[in-house]
Amino acid sequence: MTGLLNWLRVFVRGAVLSYIALFRWFRPAQYTASKIVMPLNQILFFTLLGSYALGTNSAPFFAIGNSLQIAAVSGIYGVTMSVGGERWEGTLVYLFGTPASRMSIFLGRAFVHILDGMLGVILGLAWSGLLLGVDFSHTSLLALALTILITAASTSGLGLLMGAVSLAALETFFVNNTVYFLLLVFSGANVPLQNFPGWVQAFSYMLPLTRGIQAARQIVAGAGLSEVAPLLIGEAAVGAIYIGLGYLLFRTFETIAKRRGRLESF
Amino acid sequence: MSTREKIVANLRVIRTVFVVFFKMLAVDLFIIFTVLIQPLLIALLAIYMNRERASEVAIYLIVGSGMTGLWSGLLFTSSFAIRGERWFGTLEMLVGAPTHLGVIMLGKTLAHVTLSLSSMIFGYIMAALVFRFPLVIIDPLGFLVSLLFTVVAFISFGLVIAPFFAISPAVEGWVNALEFPVYVVGGFLFPILILPQWATPLSYALAPYWAAQALHLTSSGAGSVYPNFPLWHDWVMLLLFSVLYLFLSRWLFAKVIRRAKVEATLGLQ
Repeated sequence: MTGLLNWLRVFVRGAVLSYIALFRWFRPAQYTASKIVMPLNQILFFTLLGSYALGTNSAPFFAIGNSLQIAAVSGIYGVTMSVGGERWEGTLVYLFGTPASRMSIFLGRAFVHILDGMLGVILGLAWSGLLLGVDFSHTSLLALALTILITAASTSGLGLLMGAVSLAALETFFVNNTVYFLLLVFSGANVPLQNFPGWVQAFSYMLPLTRGIQAARQIVAGAGLSEVAPLLIGEAAVGAIYIGLGYLLFRTFETIAKRRGRLESF
Repeated sequence: MSTREKIVANLRVIRTVFVVFFKMLAVDLFIIFTVLIQPLLIALLAIYMNRERASEVAIYLIVGSGMTGLWSGLLFTSSFAIRGERWFGTLEMLVGAPTHLGVIMLGKTLAHVTLSLSSMIFGYIMAALVFRFPLVIIDPLGFLVSLLFTVVAFISFGLVIAPFFAISPAVEGWVNALEFPVYVVGGFLFPILILPQWATPLSYALAPYWAAQALHLTSSGAGSVYPNFPLWHDWVMLLLFSVLYLFLSRWLFAKVIRRAKVEATLGLQ
């Protein structure tokens, strides 16, 4: 029991403190610019681009896809910086020196970003309803909320893997930006997957977001939770695989770093 | 020092800054992503979105996505041009040098606008080699002249952005938020006719819109909102905006230098 409580304490405190530390320089105006205005601009741009290509009737397709994609702002950038920040800020030595559960430390770095990502998606969908004519009258809100949660969590799973990579890589921003844009192109947010060649579609299904976006579109069109359950299970499984890979890499780097005695340079 | 000697000295500074800064940018992965990879991915996305008619609109999409690289590169590098010197601790030395700060920034802006042009070239290569689209620029001479006017207008715009962000710390966080709106109102990848009418004046008030008009008109024949709108109108607008931006830039640089030399507050975050 005490072990579990300790695990939770490390998880929650680590989650909150790492989030506060990451955004210590943030002010309300900057938060508004980065988390509200920028995502709205991105949704507007890609929806207009898609509407120009496929007609105005297709606007909801792009608006929903890009709203879900907003989960990647927190899931990729935020989570990667929370994990990788330990190295840049010089706190990795202390982190690897503690007896605390590595899993609780590792997962804690993603927790608040999942909530933040969900908020971003909800704002994006609200914008889509208000400005881009997305009709939510047939939507099961519970199913949509669950979809948003699972998608934000699975995207953060990829963020955790990228965060572990950033413990050893120097050009984290380059990798993050590339991953973020690859998701924009290949997750199905902006291109119907059937437009891609078969091998690209196979790649798309290895990414987080892909099934979550499909599920969200179906739910907005009136599908129930049972109809999208296979997609959500698949999305959760993809996220779990990325978390597992990220954790494995995190522990491997810890072992290598301790063996070589070069905790922050590897 | 005579006027001629001053001009020669300034040109030498511009060349030196251009060479040094170009080398720095060319190996900076953030810049490589912004001016090369991001526009390529946007071009790829736009090609797949327009799958049915991609070969017809390919040159339009390549020029448009190249414009996104040009704008994003200008926005990020110019907004950081003076702030970066402050971060590195070299701003006081630059302001104290006999060469005007604006001349040094001109060399830097020239470097990143030149590098940003590569996004259009790589987009063209990708569309030609990977997708094997027939890419024909319908008016090559007009396109080159339009490109020249575009470069001048973007450099002038960069010379407004650099001092503006240096003296307005409150807007620093808004850089990211300014990227996509100009893609939209600039009409880079779709005509502004699909936007609400109230947005049209915003487009007219920005040089990137006139640049996109001129480049689209000369490359694919698309782009003009009004039928028979002559190309030279776009060029005149680009020239007018360049002059306007230079006047604005002169005023902003005077403020920057005043804060550095008189108030001694420029180095403060």
